[in-house]
Amino acid sequence: MTAVASPASRGFVHHVTHVVLLVAFTALIFYVTRAVPEVHGTLWTIASIGFLLVAGTLTSEILAPLGLPHLTGYLIAGIAAGPHMLRLVDEHTVKSMSPVNTLSLALIALSGGAELDLSALKQGAKSLAWAMVIQCVLVVIVLTGVFVAARPLLPFARALPVTQVIAVGLLWGALGVTRSPSATLGILSQTRAHGPLARFTLGFVMVSDIVVVVLIATVLGCTRPLLDPSAAFSAQAFVQLGHELFGSIALGTTLGLVIAVYLRVVNRQMLVVLLVLGFGVSTVLDYLQFDALLTFMVAGFIVRNMSNQGHRFIEYIEQTGTVVYVVFFATAGADLDVPLLRLMWPVALLMAGSRAGVTWLGSVVAGRIAKDSPVIRKWGWSGLVSQAGLALGLSVVIAKDFPSFGPAFRSLAVATIALNEMIGPILFKLALDRSGETSHVAVPSLSSLRPPPLDH
Amino acid sequence: MNAVLLLVGLLVLSYLGSFLVTGRTVRGAGLPSGVEYVALGFVLGPRVLDLVGGDMLASFEPVVQVALGWLAFAVGLDFGYAGDKRVRGGSLAIGTMGSLITGGAVGVAVWFALPRLQPNLAPSDRLLLAGGIGAACSETTRHAVRWVVERMNARGPLADRLNEIAHTDDLLPLLTIAILFALSPTPDVHVREPLRDWPLITIGIGLLLGAGASLLVRSDLRLDETWAVLFGVTLIAIGTTARLAISTLTASFFLGIAMAALSRHGAELRAMVAPTERPVLLPALLLAGAHLDFVASPKLPWIAAVAIVARLAGKVVVGWLLYVSSKPARRAGPLVGLSLMSSGALAISIGLAFALRFPGPIGDTVLVVAAVSATFGEFVGPARLRRSLQAAGEIDNGAAQSPPPARVTA
Repeated sequence: MTAVASPASRGFVHHVTHVVLLVAFTALIFYVTRAVPEVHGTLWTIASIGFLLVAGTLTSEILAPLGLPHLTGYLIAGIAAGPHMLRLVDEHTVKSMSPVNTLSLALIALSGGAELDLSALKQGAKSLAWAMVIQCVLVVIVLTGVFVAARPLLPFARALPVTQVIAVGLLWGALGVTRSPSATLGILSQTRAHGPLARFTLGFVMVSDIVVVVLIATVLGCTRPLLDPSAAFSAQAFVQLGHELFGSIALGTTLGLVIAVYLRVVNRQMLVVLLVLGFGVSTVLDYLQFDALLTFMVAGFIVRNMSNQGHRFIEYIEQTGTVVYVVFFATAGADLDVPLLRLMWPVALLMAGSRAGVTWLGSVVAGRIAKDSPVIRKWGWSGLVSQAGLALGLSVVIAKDFPSFGPAFRSLAVATIALNEMIGPILFKLALDRSGETSHVAVPSLSSLRPPPLDH
Repeated sequence: MNAVLLLVGLLVLSYLGSFLVTGRTVRGAGLPSGVEYVALGFVLGPRVLDLVGGDMLASFEPVVQVALGWLAFAVGLDFGYAGDKRVRGGSLAIGTMGSLITGGAVGVAVWFALPRLQPNLAPSDRLLLAGGIGAACSETTRHAVRWVVERMNARGPLADRLNEIAHTDDLLPLLTIAILFALSPTPDVHVREPLRDWPLITIGIGLLLGAGASLLVRSDLRLDETWAVLFGVTLIAIGTTARLAISTLTASFFLGIAMAALSRHGAELRAMVAPTERPVLLPALLLAGAHLDFVASPKLPWIAAVAIVARLAGKVVVGWLLYVSSKPARRAGPLVGLSLMSSGALAISIGLAFALRFPGPIGDTVLVVAAVSATFGEFVGPARLRRSLQAAGEIDNGAAQSPPPARVTA
């Protein structure tokens, strides 16, 4: 009689195998980087992407029994492999991965837009509107207050007069309103969650992308005269903002219609088409100074809601799922400034904690006003804690616009975003698991794939 | 040309190539070896129109390396299989011996011709050149036999045998380049290993990564996670071998072999990877064409001529062995070996790998000879194969009038 391993022991064997393989792959890359230490060419970028893909997948599988999201595994793999720990992926390599990140972001935004169902959005419009208003107002006010109160802990703010501290606090507050569409979509991709919480979070995070861009431009316009006496209030920024927003929406709509027509008429090799769009359109958007996230999001939204190709489109994008998210988040992990976080963690913890707290408070208040379902009232805040690329990008803009305090401001932002980036996905997955929205339907695996006859 | 435009152009080419995989749109288009894309690349490249300049080619080296590595991985995954069937031992033996005889004949011929053609060549360069050309000229493209077989609706033991041989002659050329690459270590590599160890390290990296990946896919990962693992291990193999200046093609090939051998999902993996082969191949061929330098060496035409004549002789000998050992081949006559003259993707990949690893006359000469040999093979191989199959009575003449769609992989 053949002995059949129980699922538990098979699971244990799989986990031991994953740990051993992770150590083995790491040892190989470690050996190679030490054997040929001075090579930083693009060829090593290839190996780095490969290693992050494998290490991220393995780490996420190893951490899965703890209930941690895959994104956390990807981030940890990136941090461990990055320039501040094992140095398997150096700073130069992290920078040279930016085209891959651009592509990942395009696919994530397309996926996010395609997941937004117009009828569901209409149903939850009241809830979303209240949550948006209250979150924006409360977060900006409370975080500005926290920043001003924490002034003695912030060397760069101590020397500033009170009005300027308030102005910088307002910028800090506006930065706090940013969310992470990529983290939200990453968690939803892993859990395949369906339900009011998943719908609410996705809708909120996607719509907040537009709101945040407007809010930041407004705050920047209003605070600039306070921070730079030679500057006057200018409407030019709003003209540029209008150009960026309407241009992005127009281009996104066109792109969405083109994709829908393609899916209807040709419907082949969509992944190659997505790659072409990801690289080609991103370059065009960069040239036109349009918002790539918004453009691709609108394109996905149009395909989903203005054609009958939405589900087909989502299926195509889901095929890229793990590869895109591993590369994106593992690179983010490798890019994380660990020494800075080590230096600033007490203040960053205060800032991240206060942001999470006010987000929870805003969710409770908005939930009561909008008479949300209990699950949203209880867990609605959990998906709004994550922050990532958008917040980092805005902190770079602020650092560039205000050279006197900007770099130190950015350091604080980077440290705080790092905490939110690590804690946010864990909270959101926990909420989806607890609210019962996480799908337990088996997903296709290699075993479920019946090999088609080969083309020979 | 802007780098992003070129990248998008290559992706568009991949897109068009993917249509050739299933052949629904472009029925039967394209040559078995894909040399038309090499020619297109040459025209666009720095020697003719200069739309793809030298700097651009250098910046696209990672793309080329990834394409070559992925192709070698796909070839490794498919090694020893013809379709969904494992090839017979006899075909494996003939395929391996055939590549040894042909590659050996070409290498020896070039080796002895070089002192006359290039008297000042250093002994190590002479070995690299002869060995590289031998490796690039030894294989028969898997695509060619299927191309004729499917167009002519050929069915029978000879068609099967030739198809199997074409699927099993990739091992020796890839082992050869592992040895040749090890002969010329770069100063960047700080590890001092005896030369004999580097080919073993090359193979070992491929086998170890393949074994690891097989263990991983055994644990029932999701399909998209399986893709992440496949991409991941292949990119690790490509990056590490490139950093150690050893053969990317060989490591990736053995990675594929290990995965096919050790994974219980070998058939599923082949089914996943096979459709990606053609879309990756065409941009690689285009970039190979852009790298072609026909004036790399003043005696290049002579070297190419020697290589082609030796290849013809080698294939004749292989055919004779087949003629003697196989009943169906006897009906096709003693020149049945010329049916295996077509070379293609792997030969040009080897040439391109040489051009990247040994920039200058050595690498460029190997690439040009690989391309010329593939072009020559187009004139001889398919025509001779058709005649052999007709002689063996394996071609349905009625069906041959209206060729079925070419459902091809490289």
